[in-house]
Amino acid sequence: MTAELIEFDALGPSGPYRSRHRLPITDLAGVPLAALSLVPSLYVHRAIAALRAAEPLPAADRLAALARAGEAFATETIGGLSVDAYVHAVSRISGMPIQIVRHATETTRRALLDAGRDARQARPVASVDDWHDPATRGGRAVWTRRGEVFAVHASGNHPGVHALWPQALALGYRVAVRPSRREPLTAHRLITALRAAGFGPDQIAYLPTDHTVADEIISAADLSMVYGGDDVVAKYGADPTVLVQGPGRSKILLAGEDWHQHLDTLVDSIGDEGGTACVNATAVFTDTDPDGLAAALAERLATIPTLPPEDDRAALPCQPTKQAAALERFLLDHAAGTTPRLGGAGITDPVAGGGVALRPAVFQVDRADAAQTGIELGFPCVWVAPWSPADGIGPLRNSLVLTALTHDERLLDQLVDDPTIRNVYVGDHPTYWMRPDVPHDGYLGEFLMRTKTVLRD
Amino acid sequence: MTTLRPNATLHPNSILDGPADHIPDETDLIEAAMRWHFDPRTGSRFWLDQADTLGFDPREDIHTADDLARFPNIVDRLRYVPAGDLIPRGYAGQDDAVYGVYDSGGTTGPPKHVVFMTDWMERLLVHTDQEMDERDYPRRVDWLALAPSGPHMFGAFVRESVRRRGRLGFTVDLDPRWVKKCIAAGRADQADQYADHIVAQARAVLESQDIGVLITTPPLLERLVRDEELHRLIADRVQVIEWGGAHLDPDTRYLLRTEVFPHNRLVGRYGSTMILASAIERDGLAPDAPCVYDSFSPYVTFRVVDPETGEPVPYGSRGRVVMNHVSKAALLPNNLERDEATRVEAPPGRPGDSVADVAPVAMFGDSPVIEGVY
Repeated sequence: MTAELIEFDALGPSGPYRSRHRLPITDLAGVPLAALSLVPSLYVHRAIAALRAAEPLPAADRLAALARAGEAFATETIGGLSVDAYVHAVSRISGMPIQIVRHATETTRRALLDAGRDARQARPVASVDDWHDPATRGGRAVWTRRGEVFAVHASGNHPGVHALWPQALALGYRVAVRPSRREPLTAHRLITALRAAGFGPDQIAYLPTDHTVADEIISAADLSMVYGGDDVVAKYGADPTVLVQGPGRSKILLAGEDWHQHLDTLVDSIGDEGGTACVNATAVFTDTDPDGLAAALAERLATIPTLPPEDDRAALPCQPTKQAAALERFLLDHAAGTTPRLGGAGITDPVAGGGVALRPAVFQVDRADAAQTGIELGFPCVWVAPWSPADGIGPLRNSLVLTALTHDERLLDQLVDDPTIRNVYVGDHPTYWMRPDVPHDGYLGEFLMRTKTVLRD
Repeated sequence: MTTLRPNATLHPNSILDGPADHIPDETDLIEAAMRWHFDPRTGSRFWLDQADTLGFDPREDIHTADDLARFPNIVDRLRYVPAGDLIPRGYAGQDDAVYGVYDSGGTTGPPKHVVFMTDWMERLLVHTDQEMDERDYPRRVDWLALAPSGPHMFGAFVRESVRRRGRLGFTVDLDPRWVKKCIAAGRADQADQYADHIVAQARAVLESQDIGVLITTPPLLERLVRDEELHRLIADRVQVIEWGGAHLDPDTRYLLRTEVFPHNRLVGRYGSTMILASAIERDGLAPDAPCVYDSFSPYVTFRVVDPETGEPVPYGSRGRVVMNHVSKAALLPNNLERDEATRVEAPPGRPGDSVADVAPVAMFGDSPVIEGVY
């Protein structure tokens, strides 16, 4: 039996484009559900040239179109897919629990509604938005774009990644998105909605490519944002035109605090969002009773049920069996020498309908600087480590979020000052706490914009 | 030494030496070539030395292009044998018999050497001239070739083609070995700079000269048209854009034909040093039709096979390309290339297969990235 495949066409300067080279998109059981049109480099360069040649919409029109698109994205049938059909397809293809997909849909709606406001949070207080502002008489900083075309290499770990880049549209950029081949649906739906809402084909493009063409998008665009691991950081880290969204490696520190009081926050930080996000805690450091803490985390996380992702009660991510087996092998190989508290015999558990759930894992290491505390995996997986003031902040560095449960002001000073710790949450706050008007990894606007002086008569 | 004995009478080479514009019958050519290459008086030292090890007598057992599959693939030996040993002894005493010695790409180990005989070059050029006429290549116009010279046969082939039917032949040299070396070493930025260097030289010619035929590779053509000014110059002036030397995926080919150069003729050429020739794109194909190449048979024949079994794949299926060259000048049979192609029926009455949508053997996806949430 062959059901009709959903066709995800590229969305280029002359509208939808169906290539001959199409990638089958399969669900957890390996059943093809969709076909993704992969575009060649010639198409990429022509699409980006068209974006560059286009004028941005007027600012007010941009914000209105973003709001309309967000509403449609979250409530309407787009490209033949109702909201329910869309969230179901995402969960079956990516293995993401369906409630998380639903929630991300709502988050994205709100992010688009507020994209203008959120983007402007990055504007230096001494600057104005528009050179026509009366303040430029006599000289004033004006906040201006650093380029015209912004490219995004999106990731497929979480549909919420598409809530950020629309800020670039709000700022007047023309945007080209290369979707993740693991989950190309969300970007397609969002960009289709943006086009219907008023961003023309010369304002926003959807450019799926295979890996050989991926770099062409970055070299053709003025500025880019790329999600990835250490390999991506190594490749683009030194390129000033690329904003790398690297590993999260978020952490929690308990110093002089009784962990029993914070167990809910710890468990949620590890397992919320199915453990798939860069803001999920990868390691927990404690100066008291790591044995007890590891055992308690294991006990709590073990109660999360194994369910297929489309089940409303599902909370764990699922993956195709073969892919998950490789992940499991990687984890167990790298956990050698640590004490398994949960998942030491494996983390995969078959689900009805094909594929396996990735069950939580808790491993205990015996020193704060154990290398394992930096191993971030896309499911609830945590390394519990002992910590003492003598260890210093070294083991806590390189964190997207650090939740610090401590009253040690001097230590907090050091954490806030450290340039490799990008967000510090002091007290009982989960690592996944986010609000669109505060920076996630800096403000996107810090990267997209600059100030220049305009002086006029 | 060889167990071969001379043929009773030295055959008259009416087949091998026939007029350059005459295409011999498949069996006549192959039987005559076997007699020539495996006769101790006329064969090359290279082939006479192999004769014992073949396990069959080519003069008795090889009659058709399909029979060439019985030969071992000897091309790897061309990296090491003295290239002079490849010249058939029957050419001895002829002045100007050798046109030149040329190399394969040389990206995987030492290059393979082949000897190009003058009579073969003449035969190839007469045939190419006809093919170009059939495809409305203009005569007496200026050409620009962005193509490798030096050790590579293609530069000489273009030069001879221009002499035969063009006016001035402008060239921009390129060294594919260096580019591939840069890419293999992960120095994509250097390969990029090198490509820019080629494009800058091409620009100088295109801006100042009236170029009617442009020879280029697909990646360079893509770079040329990224610049709207160069795109316009080429679209306005160049009548035929001939691409080769690297594969062109069907999506890009369609875009080039329909959007980028809707009013110019784009013609593909699929060559290999190991056939001492190239195959030109079949005339009259629609932009959406697969890019089919017909070989210069019976001298050059293709087969498309399952690399595991060596058996032909069904028409319309993908397989690996096997190439044969059989002429007076050389015998290079049964060479399994690294390319994949769709097997297509050869034109009526022509031996072997035609090939379509040639591409390097597919790489199977990215290596799995395990660590990280992205």
